[in-house]
Amino acid sequence: MTDQQRRFVSTNRRVREDRRFVAGAGRYVADLDMPGTLHVALVASTAPAARILGIDASEALAMEGVVDVLTGEELSAAVTPLMNGLDTPLVRRFPLAVGQIRYAGEWVAAVVAESRALAEDAAEKVRVRTEALPFVIDAEAALEPDATPVHPEHGSNLLLDRTFDWGPVAEDFAAAEERLSLRVTWGRNSTVPIETFGVIARWNPWEEMLDVWASIQMPKYADQIARALKLPGNAVRVHYDVDVGGSYGVKRGIKHTVLVAYLARKLGRPVRLIEDRLENMRAGDAQGPERIFDIDVAFDRDGTVRSMKMRALDNAGAYAGRAPFQLGKPIGAIVGPYRIGSVQYRAMSVTTNKAVQEAVRGFGQAPTNYAIETMMDRVAAHLGIDRLELRRRNLIRAEEFPYTIPSGSTYDSGDYHTVIDKVLAHADYEALKAERDRLRAEGLCAGIGIAACLEPSGGNSSFEPLLNEKNRTSTWMEGSRVTIDALGFVTVAIHTTSSGQGHETLAATVVGEELGIDPDRIRVTRPDSLSSLPGNSPVGSRMAIMLGGAAARAARNLKRQLVAIGAHAMGIDPDTASYEAGTITAPDGRSIGWDELVDIGHRRFHDLPSGTNPGLTASFIQQVPTGVALPKDGKVQMYPCYSFEFHLVLMAFDPVLAKPEIRRYVIGHDCGTVINPHIVRGMTLGGIAHGIGAALLEEFTYDEGGQLMTQSFLDYLMPSSHEVPSVEIVHHCTPSPLTEFGQKGSGESGYLGAPAAISGAVQDALSPWGVTVDKLPLRMSTISDTIADAETAA
Amino acid sequence: MKPAQFDYARPKTVEEACGILAADMDARVLAGGQTLVPMLAMRLSRPSVLVDITRIAGLQGIACSDDTVEIGAVTRQAAALASEVIRAEVPLLAKALRHVGHPPTRCRGTVGGSVAHGDPSAEIPLAVTVLGAEIVFVGEDGEEERFAPEDFFIGPMLTTAPMGGLLTRLVFPRRAAAPTGTGFREVASRRSDYAFASAGAQVVLNADGTCAEARLGIGSVGDTPVAVDISGLSGTRLTAQDIRGAVVEALSDLETVDDLHATASYRKRAAVRLAELALAEARDDALEQAG
Repeated sequence: MTDQQRRFVSTNRRVREDRRFVAGAGRYVADLDMPGTLHVALVASTAPAARILGIDASEALAMEGVVDVLTGEELSAAVTPLMNGLDTPLVRRFPLAVGQIRYAGEWVAAVVAESRALAEDAAEKVRVRTEALPFVIDAEAALEPDATPVHPEHGSNLLLDRTFDWGPVAEDFAAAEERLSLRVTWGRNSTVPIETFGVIARWNPWEEMLDVWASIQMPKYADQIARALKLPGNAVRVHYDVDVGGSYGVKRGIKHTVLVAYLARKLGRPVRLIEDRLENMRAGDAQGPERIFDIDVAFDRDGTVRSMKMRALDNAGAYAGRAPFQLGKPIGAIVGPYRIGSVQYRAMSVTTNKAVQEAVRGFGQAPTNYAIETMMDRVAAHLGIDRLELRRRNLIRAEEFPYTIPSGSTYDSGDYHTVIDKVLAHADYEALKAERDRLRAEGLCAGIGIAACLEPSGGNSSFEPLLNEKNRTSTWMEGSRVTIDALGFVTVAIHTTSSGQGHETLAATVVGEELGIDPDRIRVTRPDSLSSLPGNSPVGSRMAIMLGGAAARAARNLKRQLVAIGAHAMGIDPDTASYEAGTITAPDGRSIGWDELVDIGHRRFHDLPSGTNPGLTASFIQQVPTGVALPKDGKVQMYPCYSFEFHLVLMAFDPVLAKPEIRRYVIGHDCGTVINPHIVRGMTLGGIAHGIGAALLEEFTYDEGGQLMTQSFLDYLMPSSHEVPSVEIVHHCTPSPLTEFGQKGSGESGYLGAPAAISGAVQDALSPWGVTVDKLPLRMSTISDTIADAETAA
Repeated sequence: MKPAQFDYARPKTVEEACGILAADMDARVLAGGQTLVPMLAMRLSRPSVLVDITRIAGLQGIACSDDTVEIGAVTRQAAALASEVIRAEVPLLAKALRHVGHPPTRCRGTVGGSVAHGDPSAEIPLAVTVLGAEIVFVGEDGEEERFAPEDFFIGPMLTTAPMGGLLTRLVFPRRAAAPTGTGFREVASRRSDYAFASAGAQVVLNADGTCAEARLGIGSVGDTPVAVDISGLSGTRLTAQDIRGAVVEALSDLETVDDLHATASYRKRAAVRLAELALAEARDDALEQAG
């Protein structure tokens, strides 16, 4: 299908969800008003590590309006441990600390009361007697043989230590003319949505049904709840018709959910927990990767990068969860957009006494891209080759696709050189360099940053079997159903919550495209989990591909029924009939219209072709394109589709004040066929803002005493409209051969390359002093001190 | 983030407010609430009673006399920023106000509230300090008590505000008739964050273009905003070298500490840089007026 033939896909149609959000008419979990609801507040640990000697809740329980105080001891006896991705069965995690506290802020007890304010008052009255234990905050310290294990039963802090050798690494290093080593550090940032996590659970003993409403973005949520509470799968009903106020990966409140679900069953009333900002920041278990990269790179004097050894040491925090998998996903793009022939990758994950790490936009890809791109800058500097030229010499060329990288993934398509050419032409790269030099002559620090990187998309979960042999997952399907009602109106069902990705617009657009019907006339619904087709939620930059594919193909199945009905009515072979905007036309020009087709489908069984079901409905369950094989020899096809982005940034700052100012930001973006341009633009701009935060501002910082210093937006610094510049987006489209319309993923764009580009720009600005920066976030004070130290030394 | 329990009082007169404050050590004044309300929500402040002074007649407004401009304590920062009188007669305060929070917080935040809170990185206390404005309290007995800034700000969020007294107004000197230039600079992580360092400056020129009077204050770096003696600039032409020499000498013994977001050495260098920039801005402003 070419662009010219498309009526709705890629056109500038408004995003249907925006109307209710802009009008303030979204329906979030905190908006739900259920009679008789009880409220939860948490008793948080003040110590980073301690043995719990006793919990005295008598004073709290004596207060009027206080209904219950739940401890980890009671809860852990009733529920199974929360899901653990790796095969580390002795790293057990429950919603409340059991016996031992493992990070400051960890929930020790839950207070249930008639109002949230009362619950908070009572939480202050719960007395927790503890005995302090040694703790460890730093990932490298946690690796030391004498380090205290966060989980003594597990025996050490090491959760994962896997080394992969892909290709002739030793030979390539031996043959290379040059090599260098570098270390870069990615600070512990995250996505911090304005809406914190919230959940309401209600137990109906007469139906034996647990109903759950939550601000959730998580695969297998209902399954995990049922398993933890030892309920049948069909006794848990998650309501997906709840708006989610932002997530970008982190809205995975399984511990919150198990907690309130247990309480709802125990107390016989709806129970709700809406995190406040303090609970969210220190114990929402929603902080992101924190990673030290040690890289050796082997290359030739002409700039050819032959091989790379990368060790990634990740600080998972106090429990395992899915955090270690964030070291696995980047294996699918471990060489970035470059032809690097062999790679050694050592993935290490350790526990420390910090809050638990959760999935964050890109699932580990943004830190890895930062490491790869910094490496490319260093190689260029070492050889005295222009950074752009070095990249050009190593980029995979358009004619080389599909291109299989050493770790086993095949990149579907791309045209990296053309995207870069378009960005350079748009930005007038020579003029940009002249502008940088003019700013320098004015006495400012000025630098240009570049980053070229990939967004693997279409999320399968191949890192699970790769890093845990007991896990045999080879599908990560998504389903959709399309129905034409007896009045002839079309409804599409999607089976997940959305946190701003515009899935209603996506589904309506592709179904409208297939059926030739105006998408604005198509209804999109979200059945609850028990009425849903199988799916895996909007993670891994997958929904344009997976939900888009499922909805389009469900619509195509339905269209096939319409064609069969129409052909039968006209007495012709269905293969000779044509479908156009709801009308079936025979080769001789006769036609049969929508109303007639609907009438036959819904009322006239006698007019249906034999073997056709009455009623007009069809569904499709989409398997991830390429996602069928289990790993072999440490290699696997990770995500199927690869979007590309190229960032070009000009920054300037005063050498003393060092407040980085972005003077120009241009991004070239190729996510294949764009289904809705407004949505892709929004994701890209939001991702860049997020990346600016990661590069310059945002960090969950712990002090030497193990206390979180950044517990609110006072100290956890999110970029505001003042810090985010206007961004110029240069589009390019290399369709994916693997998807319905050629679409690829876009939900992580911007964030994946912005930190690398900004760091590169600061590095370029500091080049006159011969100093390097190698840690994110790059604080103003650090930049200024680095310059001052260099001047003192000189 | 629900406040601990408190009582709420909304007195109609200063006298009534002072009565409540004097009777209860744990009573706190609520003006714009832009600092206090978040502190209540985090239970960092647990007053017994909040005394809402925003409905007291006579605490709002800006009035100009022969020598002074008086600003009622409950005057919203946004109103002060929009005031022609302040722009014309207290131009340094007008410049400082632009850096206070952001538009939504300025619509609620009050001029007096910021001074009473005494945050060393706040812009209004810095302008008060540079200009030597008077801080006027009314006590329980109805008597006025006036404070000079250096006697009022004594530590971070620590002032000599009298027990049972209510800050009612600020009295700023009107600018001189001679060319009077001002400059205000600060640096922070983000536009509306607490500044790492800030500098306010005002210079008055003689008819021959030399400096008649120079004032400088530094905020955010020490425990309080500090007025810095740069009288050595008087008589000079305020060249870049003049300014640099005076600033470096005046700020040589500035004391400060590291925190999460900035090192002490950074704050000190930034203070010097901002002081230079603020004085240069003030000089250029004054020269423009001189024609």
